[in-house]
Amino acid sequence: MKNAKKRILALLLALACVLGMAACGGQNTDTEAENAAEETTEATDSAAEESDGAEETAEAVDPDAEIVLAGYRNLAPGEKDGYYCSKILYVWEPLVTQDENAAPVPCLAESWEMSENGTQWTFYLRQGVKFHDGSDFNADAVIANFDRMKMGVKSSSFYPLDIDSHYPNLESYEKVDDYTIRLTFSQPAPTQLYNMVNFGSAIYSPNCFDENGDFNGICIGTGPFKITENKLDEYVLLERFDDYWGEAAKAKTIRVRVIPDADTRFSALKSGEIMGVIDLNAIPTSLAVELEGDDNFALTTTKSTMIRFLCLNGTQFPFNDVRMRQAVSLALQRSVITEDLYDGFGTPTTNILNYSTPFYKEFPVEEDMEKAKELAAEVLGDERVTVTYLYNGSEAAQKGEAELIASWLSEIGIDCELMPMEMTNMKEQMKTGDYGIARMQQGLSNSEPSTIFRRFMLTSGDQNQNYSLGYHSDEVDALMAEAESALDMDVRTECYNRIQEISTQEFPVVPLFNDVTLMAYNTKLTGYDAKLYGIELPLVAWAE
Amino acid sequence: MKQYLIQKLISLLPVLFGISLLAFVLGILTPGNPAELVLSQGGYEPTPEQIAEMEEQMGLDAPYPVQYLRWVGRVLSGDLGTSYSSRNPVGEELMRRLPVTLKLAACSILLTVVFGIALGCTAAAWQGRLPDRVIQALINVQLSFPAFWLALLMILFFAETLGWLPTSGTGGPRYMVMPSLVLSSASMATAARLTRSALLEEFGKQYCTAAMARGIGRWRLVVRNALPNAVVPVIAMLGNSLGGMLGGSIIIESIFALPGIGSYALAAVTNRDYPALQGYVLLTGFIYVLITLLVDTLSMLLNPKVRLGGKKI
Repeated sequence: MKNAKKRILALLLALACVLGMAACGGQNTDTEAENAAEETTEATDSAAEESDGAEETAEAVDPDAEIVLAGYRNLAPGEKDGYYCSKILYVWEPLVTQDENAAPVPCLAESWEMSENGTQWTFYLRQGVKFHDGSDFNADAVIANFDRMKMGVKSSSFYPLDIDSHYPNLESYEKVDDYTIRLTFSQPAPTQLYNMVNFGSAIYSPNCFDENGDFNGICIGTGPFKITENKLDEYVLLERFDDYWGEAAKAKTIRVRVIPDADTRFSALKSGEIMGVIDLNAIPTSLAVELEGDDNFALTTTKSTMIRFLCLNGTQFPFNDVRMRQAVSLALQRSVITEDLYDGFGTPTTNILNYSTPFYKEFPVEEDMEKAKELAAEVLGDERVTVTYLYNGSEAAQKGEAELIASWLSEIGIDCELMPMEMTNMKEQMKTGDYGIARMQQGLSNSEPSTIFRRFMLTSGDQNQNYSLGYHSDEVDALMAEAESALDMDVRTECYNRIQEISTQEFPVVPLFNDVTLMAYNTKLTGYDAKLYGIELPLVAWAE
Repeated sequence: MKQYLIQKLISLLPVLFGISLLAFVLGILTPGNPAELVLSQGGYEPTPEQIAEMEEQMGLDAPYPVQYLRWVGRVLSGDLGTSYSSRNPVGEELMRRLPVTLKLAACSILLTVVFGIALGCTAAAWQGRLPDRVIQALINVQLSFPAFWLALLMILFFAETLGWLPTSGTGGPRYMVMPSLVLSSASMATAARLTRSALLEEFGKQYCTAAMARGIGRWRLVVRNALPNAVVPVIAMLGNSLGGMLGGSIIIESIFALPGIGSYALAAVTNRDYPALQGYVLLTGFIYVLITLLVDTLSMLLNPKVRLGGKKI
């Protein structure tokens, strides 16, 4: 009996232990989590109440109520990120930004001029601009930002902060007067403005850098919003900056939550927990289609800088023959791919250049199976050829796409062995030249197209070699050299036009379609319009 | 007792060695050059010179055993390396996120204990009758639903349609309801099933027959007499489940947007952030071993028969 009592005691102890652990685990985080939680619940509740109220009595809208949005990743990765947060939060501003056609327009730099030989750029800075900490924006602040960039490349989840890529051939930078700076380059740099757009010329208050050029806390910019709280992996809280030099933001506070899972994000949007989704991959097309026809929600789209294409191994038979590459392009029914597989969210193209840049030239997308068969027969004769077709296994739609493309290619005598792969492995295999077709994509880092031409079409281009494209054209090499030395924008544009034309004839890669950036929001909001890079957050507000 | 513990601890050393080796090999086997990966985060294209310089800086030119020893040395001094993607120390990131995962696991294990044992007792007490059959059916459903699907269904139903619970995120107890229910679903069912069968086994024993003959109530018999004997295997199972929950919360955390170590591991996989993955493997492996030790000790306390070699107590 005594033994039994002992055992019961032990059992109780064990249970107490387990429960204790449970309680402790809870308590540890409770205190800090609850503080945040209270805020979150309060905030979301008030937002929810707000929206509930709006449903019943249309006029009861508090314009200052918090707006909750969500994206899949941290839009403010914090101190260790070269930019602290993405441009789309409107916390920092660049010297040069872009308009709807991706052409450079003034932001913190009011105007600029290039010297006649193209090696000197003078920027006249906007006056009366204040940083969030109250300090003045002036030439000293800009020079401090250049000094920081000079310290070395800083990695970022957006674009690397690299002075050599944003300011190639920069020799020196100097303050001319309090509101003027001058950049001197060792080579003519007529398209320098394109390199400086947005991420290329982000400006922060020098007070937020430590001695290594990293952020010493929340970043301090000049934008219409300032960050008041940044809880990594949970949310970032933005507040309207009342001393903003331009038109003040419409919303008082915006909370941008991190919800990594697309389905959860969609549910949160449908339940009214969040009012909109932002950033890349905001909403998969398959879910977006569900929102069409629902009055409570709206979609907003814009051109994306991403282009999808097929790489053909030009170092080997049969794709070392340009006729075979042309045949592949002619055999594809691109509109079937975009309409049936991507619900219409894509634009067919044969141009290697993405359609978001002002240099983009439109070419008709030619589809002609008979012509494709003829061209292929010239190369293959009566034989058929078997090639491996690599695609990214983690993108669900690519499998169906590969099957569809393989069925068309089989008509022109190409049998594809489909192989789903992990991206890094795939790139390694492509480098060794052991493949026939590979499905890839490429983003355009700025609207100056020379990067894309250089990387894919120059004989020495890195992607030309990494992907074993085997592309070589004396004409393109010469055109690129001509464009680079041309000071006249028209000459440059002409070169670029011709290169694009060549790309649609010789197919260094076979383009499929340009992506569409897609975002969704609750119609209780207004001003939620997709822009080339994110949405214009300062215009977002509660609908009346 | 002391001897037993010491013996247990010594037997754990090879396991810990194995875990560390596995975590290290993980970094070697993965495709791609780590130096290049560090430099190419965010789409940057490093030059071959930069890569070579980074390789030297990272000590990648040394032979693997040397690299392993250096790595273990750093780990022992608390340095788990620096994340490729966030550039933060991995140890710091894991510690920042661990409380969220522990809280989730604790809530789940609490649900497992309370509901699992309660369901098991009810089923055993009314064996073969309606409550038993309902519970059996429930157990089957719980065991056969994949967690991620259950999670999506619950979000659809409780958050999107009914609006009772928040879809995701952290905050008060409301935010923990769905994730912990989903995470505990399978283990709750196992616990219930185990409790039921252990109780039924006890019912067949003489002391229970005797107690019943003396007219003792059904619940009293279950709770006071049979359960203490039947609960030992359940405790052992709970230990395993707790380990599984800590490791298995990867999908659940990312569905419910909980910033725990599971979602960190998933992000590390997508970003090819090997130091972060190594740290995760090491940490979860270590916790698992620790829990096993705890459970073994508890089982020993609860049931002298478990003690090693049948030595005298």
